[in-house]
Amino acid sequence: MKMAEVIHLNHHLLPVLNRFDIHLGFGERSVEMVCKDHDLNLDFFLEIVNTFHDASYFPLGHLQSFKASMLIDYLQKTHAYYLQFKIPEIGQFIRQITRDESLQAIHKKLLLDFFDSYQHELTTHINKEEQRVYPYVLKLESILDNPDATVEELHEIGKYSINEYEEDHDDVEAKLFDLKNIIIKYLPSSKNIRLLNVILHDVFELERDLNNHGHIEDLILVPIVENMEKTLRERLNKLLSNA
Amino acid sequence: MLSNMGNPYRMEELDSPIDDLEKYVNKLHPSLVMINPLLIPKLVTLPRDPESDFNPVYVGLIANTTSTRIKSKFDSLLYLNDNKHELFKTMEKVIQQLGATQPESDNTTLSERELSILKLVATGNTNNEIAERLFISTHTVMTHRKNITRKLGIKTVSGLTVYAILNQHINMEEVQGSEQGFN
Repeated sequence: MKMAEVIHLNHHLLPVLNRFDIHLGFGERSVEMVCKDHDLNLDFFLEIVNTFHDASYFPLGHLQSFKASMLIDYLQKTHAYYLQFKIPEIGQFIRQITRDESLQAIHKKLLLDFFDSYQHELTTHINKEEQRVYPYVLKLESILDNPDATVEELHEIGKYSINEYEEDHDDVEAKLFDLKNIIIKYLPSSKNIRLLNVILHDVFELERDLNNHGHIEDLILVPIVENMEKTLRERLNKLLSNA
Repeated sequence: MLSNMGNPYRMEELDSPIDDLEKYVNKLHPSLVMINPLLIPKLVTLPRDPESDFNPVYVGLIANTTSTRIKSKFDSLLYLNDNKHELFKTMEKVIQQLGATQPESDNTTLSERELSILKLVATGNTNNEIAERLFISTHTVMTHRKNITRKLGIKTVSGLTVYAILNQHINMEEVQGSEQGFN
């Protein structure tokens, strides 16, 4: 399949391609060729694109062949996309709406405060993953990749488990869900219909992206890490029984 | 068969052996789970959460040799040697059952009780405080809150606060006066 056809099929994939540093101007190049150009693992690229394209897609194959660091690199890029681009963009539109004279001051304040508190919650959640979860996974992988890792190193990293970090994204998700309904159902209509449409469109897009992000963590990252933890225990047991 | 019956659905297939059915059920929140119990030799219980609204209906794909003990775990049974007509009849019943577990969506106005609970939630009271104040159990408060969320489409406390102010059930000062503040 040609990469250009992929975008024709689902243009929501554009930000996903950007995260792989793939830019427009594919010409007639196929997905496989573009991946090769960018030194990307084709299977990995396809799994990510498929989970994004079809929310019910359940990745079960290939998982063992993916490096956790590959996945984390992708997840970090999606974080950067939310914090540096998408959230500021929505925030800017919301501040623009609050300059609308037809809205009551109190309504503007409610909308702005609610969005700020959402932004705060999302940022806290992302920071926690970046500062605690991802470093753990990367360290685990590097220790397992080192055939000379000592018992102490294995033992030390073995004190942690991905399941301790595994927390649901429920609160962050619920707030975004509420933001949609506040705008769709409850905020008195403003003169600036066009701008509200743009905000809603952006919020729906962000929601879809966040759901996919959570899906990738739960269905690809966590199983990979669980598998690494199993390998770690086996290696540790072997070393200890040889000692 | 499901598509022949004209119901919209989304399907996931899980490879056997399934080690951790509960995990899948919690992740995917299916409304219907079909299982061939022969493929899960260690099937002890099917994951059900009495606290949750999302319990799936379990349908067993049953051979004649399946024991009664296994059969009794399922909500409904499809016999592998049933003819098409019988299978359809069973599935129609299952789908009716699914429909019955869906909340009614037509009723969207809050009752007096729900409204008073909404106000208390929006001004920063916890479930326990609300229960004490209204002389009802915490469990009842939670049921009311679930209904409020379902009716309004608002899940978080701060979302409910925004709703309550927009609809003038409470005013801004009441919120700022409470400990909860706006988060």
